[in-house]
Amino acid sequence: MSDTTAPPVIEVQNVTIAYGEKVVQRDISFEVRRGEVFVILGGSGCGKSSLLKTMIGLYRPAAGRILFDGEDIVTAEGDERLRLLRKFGVMYQSGALFGSMTVLENVCLPLDEFTDLESEEKTLVAAAKLNQVGLLPAAAQKPSALSGGMQKRAGIARAMALDPGILFLDEPSAGLDPITSAGLDETIRELSKGLGITFVVVTHELQSIYAIADRCIMLDARTKTALAQGTPADLRDHSKDPYVRQFFLRQAAAAAGATRPPA
Amino acid sequence: MSSSHSSFARVDFRQGPGAEGVLTLAGELDVSSAAEARREVVDKLASARVTALAVDGSGIAHGDMSGMAVLYELAQGRIVPGVKATIRGLRPEYQTLLAAFPPGEALAAVREEPPRRPFLQQVGAATASMFADLRAQLVFLGGVVQGFGAALRHPRAMRWREVAVVFEKAGVNALPIVSLISLLMGLVIAFEAAQPLEMFGAQIFIANMIGLVMIREFSPIFTAIIFAGRSGSAFAAEIGTMKVNEELNALETMGLDPLRFLVIQRVFAGTLLMPVLAAYSMLLGVFGGILVMLTMGFPFAQIWSQLVGALGVHDVLIGVSKSFVFGAIIAGLGCLRGMQTKEGPNAVGDSTTRAVVAGILMIIVVDAIYSVLTYVLHV
Repeated sequence: MSDTTAPPVIEVQNVTIAYGEKVVQRDISFEVRRGEVFVILGGSGCGKSSLLKTMIGLYRPAAGRILFDGEDIVTAEGDERLRLLRKFGVMYQSGALFGSMTVLENVCLPLDEFTDLESEEKTLVAAAKLNQVGLLPAAAQKPSALSGGMQKRAGIARAMALDPGILFLDEPSAGLDPITSAGLDETIRELSKGLGITFVVVTHELQSIYAIADRCIMLDARTKTALAQGTPADLRDHSKDPYVRQFFLRQAAAAAGATRPPA
Repeated sequence: MSSSHSSFARVDFRQGPGAEGVLTLAGELDVSSAAEARREVVDKLASARVTALAVDGSGIAHGDMSGMAVLYELAQGRIVPGVKATIRGLRPEYQTLLAAFPPGEALAAVREEPPRRPFLQQVGAATASMFADLRAQLVFLGGVVQGFGAALRHPRAMRWREVAVVFEKAGVNALPIVSLISLLMGLVIAFEAAQPLEMFGAQIFIANMIGLVMIREFSPIFTAIIFAGRSGSAFAAEIGTMKVNEELNALETMGLDPLRFLVIQRVFAGTLLMPVLAAYSMLLGVFGGILVMLTMGFPFAQIWSQLVGALGVHDVLIGVSKSFVFGAIIAGLGCLRGMQTKEGPNAVGDSTTRAVVAGILMIIVVDAIYSVLTYVLHV
């Protein structure tokens, strides 16, 4: 479980994201604690994915700092930046698997590049990673032969290849059916509780949020800033912002027939 | 949790009573220390004579999957053949990791390579696919001709804006490279011809050579190759990307034939464009040759009369008519390969390659047919 006394793993401080003149999100601040599942949520086009890409150093924020264990990834360069990049793994929305390699080779790639393990052991480690996400039977296949859910699982396995302490997941349940999505949520939960991996997850699926989130932050496209943060139940029951309540209630209404009752 | 600093694992081996050994692993057994730790384990066990092995992992302060791989190999008897070690004292989270390693038979399946098909079957499949491709080309050709017919009957239904865009991208934007290549080809041919012709005192015939070579052969072929590389590939990539994005399916279900919507414009523009580009290239090539001859001291009037005397209208017509054919073939093949794009990440790249290769191949084949025909017909 998350440790509230330990220093946060990630600190996002007053980050503003903008493309040229167009501001996407203004003055975002939050902390991610070690071992927790932190969810970034919000409606379509509110800048969830932009925030994630800023956190992992792909985009440069217009202002603010993003600290991993106290070190700023925005200003880091060269070896220092590489060292920070090694702290986390990323699963991209569509898996972003390399199409010319098999699933196993995809997972092996980071091990090939960053370790001096024997090839026999690299295969072992990669196979174990695939086993963890339940994808071992598909190891010898090309990504194009996999379904969307399997590609995401393979993406998670590749992100975990070097056993980073933090995993970023971009829309793990987008485009998946509820059952596959619930299975993926379960995998995330297992990895988080069993291995103490810290997760930062972007999603807009309420079921996923209830299933996995320890805490979340809600972004808004109109005000271009964070509306609320806290546990999902907090946001649903105690938020003063009508949009936040609406978001939770609307989705709860839509999910009323689903098997999983709101937490 | 991070593995960024280089970590260090301690490895100890004690020979117990009898043939039992105890291996102790402690410290940090993770992705950056596992390789070193494994080497040490192999070293220490190489000299030991054990029939049973116990591994004490209670001192592992930080471990991960790469580190557990060493323990897994020990437990499976992969390091000391025949001796499957018992692991004890492992913290529960590391037991979870260790449990993730698949059993041996599942692992074997991972490495299984797909069986190769026998040679004869491969030849057969290749032949069948060649004929299928030929058939697809004929069907496509039929479709394009039909589309042209429809466009002529209903010129308003043709998307002319698209034609204009292709003219600009494939024509106007290609002028710099066509200019440079044609001019340099003219210069090169003139210089190369100058030396042998000098031996016969026949340097004035450089004009004949430049005229014939550029106008009948090089200008049409080089502009066609440039067109294949710049635009045939672009057609294949554009249409291929649309296919991958399901845009072609969208057109189809809207009742719009992709052939009439996308292909006709490109083939039409390509067919009209190619002769214009070739004619431009002829002018510049000849100009390059004339430049060389001027530097050799021939007066312009003499060069000009030699050139005009050597060339007939039919030479220009042959060059230009080739270009029509080249343009149609390259643009058509580019679009066809785009439409044939399969699924997967390499698909667009593959069809682009196929478009260019097929385009250049057809240029040479058609040119050879032209040469034989013109020789037989004495034109």
